[in-house]
Amino acid sequence: MRKAFDQLVVIEGMDLEIAAGEFVAILGPSGCGKSTLLRMIARLAEPTVGHISIQPEERFQTAFVFQDAHLLPWRTVLDNAALPLELMGVAREARYSAARAALEQVSLFEAEDRYPAQLSGGMKMRVSLARALVTQPRLLLLDEPFAALDEITRFRLDTQLRELWQTRGITVIFVTHSISEATFLANRAVVLQKRGGGIKLDRRLDLPVDRNDELRVDPRLAREMRALLSAMEEE
Amino acid sequence: MRRLRSAIPALIPLVVVTAAAELAVRYGLVKSYLVPAPSSVLRAMIESRVELLGALLTTSTSALVGFLLSTVAGIAIAVFLSSSRAIQRAFYPYAVFFQTVPIIAIAPLLVIWFGYGMRTVVASAFVVSIFPVIANTLSGILSTEPALRDLFRLYGASTPVTLWKLRFPAALPQILTGLRVASGLAVIGAIVGEFIGGQGLGSVVDVARTQQRVDKVFAAVLLASVLGLALFGLINLVSYVTLRRWHQSEQA
Amino acid sequence: MNRRHFVLAGSAALLAACGKSPGKIRLALNWKPDPQFGGFYAAPYQSHGLDVEILPGGAGTPTIQMVGAGSAEFGVVSADELVIARSQGNDVVALFAVFQNNPQGIMVHASRKLNSLGDLLKSGGTVALQRGLPYARLLEKQFGFEKVKIVPSPGGDISAFLADKNFAQQCFIMSEPLTAKHQGADVQVFPVSETGYNPYTTVLTTSGDFLRKNPDRAKAMVAAVREGWRAYLDDPKPTDQRMNQLNPSMAPEVFAEVAEAQKPFIETDEARRNGLGSMTKERWEALIAQLKGLGDIQKAPAAEECYRAL
Repeated sequence: MRKAFDQLVVIEGMDLEIAAGEFVAILGPSGCGKSTLLRMIARLAEPTVGHISIQPEERFQTAFVFQDAHLLPWRTVLDNAALPLELMGVAREARYSAARAALEQVSLFEAEDRYPAQLSGGMKMRVSLARALVTQPRLLLLDEPFAALDEITRFRLDTQLRELWQTRGITVIFVTHSISEATFLANRAVVLQKRGGGIKLDRRLDLPVDRNDELRVDPRLAREMRALLSAMEEE
Repeated sequence: MRRLRSAIPALIPLVVVTAAAELAVRYGLVKSYLVPAPSSVLRAMIESRVELLGALLTTSTSALVGFLLSTVAGIAIAVFLSSSRAIQRAFYPYAVFFQTVPIIAIAPLLVIWFGYGMRTVVASAFVVSIFPVIANTLSGILSTEPALRDLFRLYGASTPVTLWKLRFPAALPQILTGLRVASGLAVIGAIVGEFIGGQGLGSVVDVARTQQRVDKVFAAVLLASVLGLALFGLINLVSYVTLRRWHQSEQA
Repeated sequence: MNRRHFVLAGSAALLAACGKSPGKIRLALNWKPDPQFGGFYAAPYQSHGLDVEILPGGAGTPTIQMVGAGSAEFGVVSADELVIARSQGNDVVALFAVFQNNPQGIMVHASRKLNSLGDLLKSGGTVALQRGLPYARLLEKQFGFEKVKIVPSPGGDISAFLADKNFAQQCFIMSEPLTAKHQGADVQVFPVSETGYNPYTTVLTTSGDFLRKNPDRAKAMVAAVREGWRAYLDDPKPTDQRMNQLNPSMAPEVFAEVAEAQKPFIETDEARRNGLGSMTKERWEALIAQLKGLGDIQKAPAAEECYRAL
């Protein structure tokens, strides 16, 4: 599969297969095309050559969490979380109860009447997550969602995301810069080459299913990180 | 109470200038037939208050109607222009025409089309004030964040839905900026239209000028400024009410 | 106080002098160059030792304020304007009255078969005039405006007049009607002087200040202007060409017709007797009385201070 913007080839020669229920982290240096890849999977962009296929294909099965929370500032937290269902034509009561459930999942149910301007960065990102989950998606795509947050919040959200994945059984593709985050969260890590050169490393991570904060200082995590680090470092 | 206190710094220059002007005219430093003493302007205002009030009402109505028309038409045109690059390239230059045409030159044409009366004045206010609405609305609609547009696409939102639920609310701060500019221009356009079409404050200024009543000219001009300020304040109020909970321009 | 006045006057004079070369005389016209200013353009200023710059005007040019403020040494105004200005403390003085009789009038479509201004004001339709001018206020006082729709005068633009048979318009008798006739309209004109209101028009004016400080140059100016008008009355063509270039909005044939039609207003019996541009105290006194009666002035200025014979 290949993707080019005018003259700029962003992805070249990529072949990737992801099974249902996997938690895949995609790593790579800046400009390697990981955001573009994610957008193509979400069908927000088309590959120039090749194709992306999702089996079985269903409408509205994909959710996307962006780097910034990107909430609509003129809507309350509840209305923001409910937005996807609103766009899909779901009735008011139904979508509000789904939104409340989603907000509860990310521990935000008390804030439903507040406006984004009144929220901290971490809270906004949680609303964004709730918004992604409100449609019960089968596929969850995240593009460096926690990059702008402080470390403690990041750790907390990482844990929360991992739990959500475990309880719901969705497929997660998580793009990140951070090797430690990738290894903490994922079952499988894909490292992309610089400047759209394709896949450098595709590694199954040998780590326990249940992940908690203690894992962060576990030597097993360090071992996996070393493997990914060397893949990213070598030219 | 705090709001009143915060208005004081703005009032000080006004008081100083008014006092200085009054003294300057009284002591002959400035000729009274060039710059009227503020006291004589006040006197003219009181003397001609019935005429001035009626004129103010007329001009206010014309300016307001013209402004509302340019708000509605301006936003509609901007929405139309935002629908495609090709349409923008084809039609936007003509919108710019509204900005550049000197109203003094086309006002006589307006009289021929709309006759002597309020219709010409409204048309004049409309022509002068519509462009900032178009330009600012278009800019606001086009500068919606791509990520948010992606979000709407992801959930299958059609173009009209995206326009109504995303691009328009997102553009609201900029639309209001355009309206702020347009409000003052609508008053100017109305006054110019009245020079040519005859009625309202513009007519008072014109007639007083030929009578060499500078004090009355200033009185009418002052009222026109008050009108402009009032319209501006109205937009600010609308902005406060609609934006206060979510836009940084109305917060803190 | 005196010293401060002196310093301020000095700096004001300095400021007034700035922006023009020393000794240059600016003559501000109150309309675009056309036959009513012919003599000013024909005048032999240089042979009288004067360096004169003519500043054409247009709608609303404030010539009387310009002369009062010193941004022009001479200006063209109408006599009633001058009286009102003097009553407000603007020290301006008339020197030469081009039009001995007021050429202002109101033109109507002949098809309406009207007989007088009074007729017009009782017949309905639209009348375009400058409502603030004393003659208009006199008409309102004499006949009332209830039956007609008063709209602002469109200046020299006759398109509204041509488009509507019931449209009447303020004009100079020898100007707009001729232009209208050329466009095919059948025009009838009622002179304002019918009402007895007859101020001198297109009057060369200067400030009292300039007159006191430069009596010789003022005299030279009047002499040059007088010669210019004599020359223009005798042969308007070369000057018309010059003015037409500056003001192409009037066709050359119309220029010539207007120059001819305005002669009786300029060279009256009195002008032949006392000289072109001359003025009498009686005319000024009559005008001042009329303006007082209209309420356009509070304090009546003295007639002999309004003009000077140089």
